[in-house]
Formats: sequence, C-alpha cells, structure tokens
Amino acid sequence: MCGPVVAIYSLRVERKSYAPHLLYNLGRVTTYSLLGGMTGLTGSFVGSVKLFERFQYLALGTLGIVMALVGLASAGWLTFLRPGGQENKEKKVKAPGLSFTLFLNRIVTFIAGARTVGAYFPMGLVFGFIPCGLLYTALIAAAGAGVEAGSRARGFLRGMLLLFLFGLGTSPALFLIGKVVSIKGEWLRKRLSRASALVMVVVGIVFIYRAFRS
Amino acid sequence: MRHIAAVFGLVVFALFIAPFPSARTGQAIAAADAEKIVDCEIDKGPCSKVIGTMEVILDINPKPVKAMKELSFTVKLIGEGKVISGTRVITLDLAMPGMYMGKNAVMLGRNGPSTFSGKGVIPKCPSGRRLWQATVEIREMGNVSFLFNVAY
Repeated sequence: MCGPVVAIYSLRVERKSYAPHLLYNLGRVTTYSLLGGMTGLTGSFVGSVKLFERFQYLALGTLGIVMALVGLASAGWLTFLRPGGQENKEKKVKAPGLSFTLFLNRIVTFIAGARTVGAYFPMGLVFGFIPCGLLYTALIAAAGAGVEAGSRARGFLRGMLLLFLFGLGTSPALFLIGKVVSIKGEWLRKRLSRASALVMVVVGIVFIYRAFRS
Repeated sequence: MRHIAAVFGLVVFALFIAPFPSARTGQAIAAADAEKIVDCEIDKGPCSKVIGTMEVILDINPKPVKAMKELSFTVKLIGEGKVISGTRVITLDLAMPGMYMGKNAVMLGRNGPSTFSGKGVIPKCPSGRRLWQATVEIREMGNVSFLFNVAY
C-alpha cells in the first residue's frame, strides 16, 4: 500500500534530494507512533482500531481519488487538469464549474507538481493512516504490550516505542523506492508516461473500491 | 551502469505498483484457490487433524469467525497422555498464506486436562483476501496447520 504513494510523490522529487523522502517517512513514523501509543494506552487493538478505522479508509479513498486524477492529468486525458497548472490560474473567463476545476487543479498540483520540502511531512502524517495488514499486526503487538505494561502511562510509551521501531524498520525499503523513482523519474515520465498514467488511474480506482467496500 | 539502474528502477516500479491493477482478478483467483485448499470449515464447528499419534482439535469462537474482533481460540489434544500432561503452553501462529502480515502468535494456556485456550485477533487485509492459516505449535510433537476463511 505504501509503495504507490511513495512512487507518486517521488516522480517529481529532484534526483539529488533526500529531504522529501526523509520528511515523508518521518511523518509516517510519527503517525504510527501515535497509533501505537493509543493502542498501548487502551490495551485493546479492537477498541482503538474502532476509533480510527473510518479515517483510515477515508485516507485510502482520498488517495485513490487523487491517484486517479493525477494519472488522468499526467496523461493529458483531462484537459482542464494540469499538474502545476499555472495557466488555469490566469484565466479570467468565468465559466460554470471553473472554481471546481481550479480546486481540482490545486489538489493535483499539490500531489504531482513541484512543492516545498515542508509539505512532505504532513503528507506522511496523513498517508500513515492508510490501512495495512502489517500495521494491524504491529498494533496487535502494541495492545499486548499495553496489557503487560501494568499502567496506562507505561502502556502508552511501550505501544508508541513498538510502532516507532516498526515504522523505522519499514523506512529503508520505502526510502529506497522513493530514491529509485525520483532518480529515474524523468526517464520514466518520458518513456512510460501513458503506461504509468494508466497504471496510476487503475490503482487509484482499486483503492477507491477498497475504501468504499470497507 | 545507467541502463542497469534504469532496469532496476523499472523492476521496483513493476513489483510495487503493477500488481495492484490485477487486484480484482487476483481476488477471483484467490477465491478459487481458497475453495481448493481450505481444509477447515471453522464456521461450522471445530476442525480436527492428526499429528503423529495425537489428534489436534481447533475451535474458534464466536461464530462466524470475523476479522478485527476479539476471538477465543481453543485447542484440544487427544492422544499421548505424557505429552499432553507435560505441555503447559501451546502457541497458535496466525498467518495469511502468500502475504506476510507480521508475526501474530496467540499463547494458549492450559484450561483443563487436555484443553488449551487463549484470546487473539485476526487482522483484516485491505486486499480483501480472507484465507488464513492457524498453525498449532506443540514443542514436543511438532506443528499442524488449519486453513480457513474468515468473514470481514
């Protein structure tokens, strides 16, 4: 689940830049740590998942919609959407639905266009909520650690530490994916633009389906 | 060197993104395969298997067995008295065949002369796959696995 998110944002990251990947993973690990702390505090995986499960599938559905839009825009299949579409901002023509297309343009630009480094940390925070079986298993362990801790405070800290280490452990693989994609981003965009855009649209649709099915 | 890096990048891209478009097809295939390899209709009652000279009976409650709910796991051993009396704890390892979801082991403590029980959770896989494998690990005798579907 995390791979496609990393691949999308990495396509526009400069090849020599490390900060976006580090900040994205820092955001993701922060979210995991908070979820782990919450689960350790309650000592109940089932109870704590109920609190944030809906938000998880909301994040998944949002990601799916954004991926589909980015894919359609990148391939030029939606002419009113352009990643980094500055030209639409300059249009003075008032047309029905223009404000909505401008809103969509901003979303697509934010995800697929050039952005400040600082944007990657909140991106990691939000997408750290995407549902994942591996994450659930780690949270089950955090709940167990919370039960054995003896106090809520210690349970919170143990759960947080457990998920922090889990997030840290998964970071090298995602960092590598991001780096490889950003290094080859321009090459991929030139040669596989339509194919990768199609894959992105299909993956986005799959994510939307999974979010609504749940 | 550049070509090698390009190929490597494409492989990474293909491995992590390309499989997703086939998710629905994969689910249909997984469902078909599950029909062939499911060997425990856990929703209908306990399942039984033999390991060596011992019969191992697994039961999960409440039914239907659902993911993301607290479940009660019970294992009953029928067979060699020495092994049964000498065993204090049994480990039940929960895993999804074909997809690594981390180590999820439920410790079953003794709850009678030949019965062991404990509580655990089967997490939900966002892919929609429902086939799970419960492996009863008995140090003195070995392991025995049960394959069953869970409800979401």
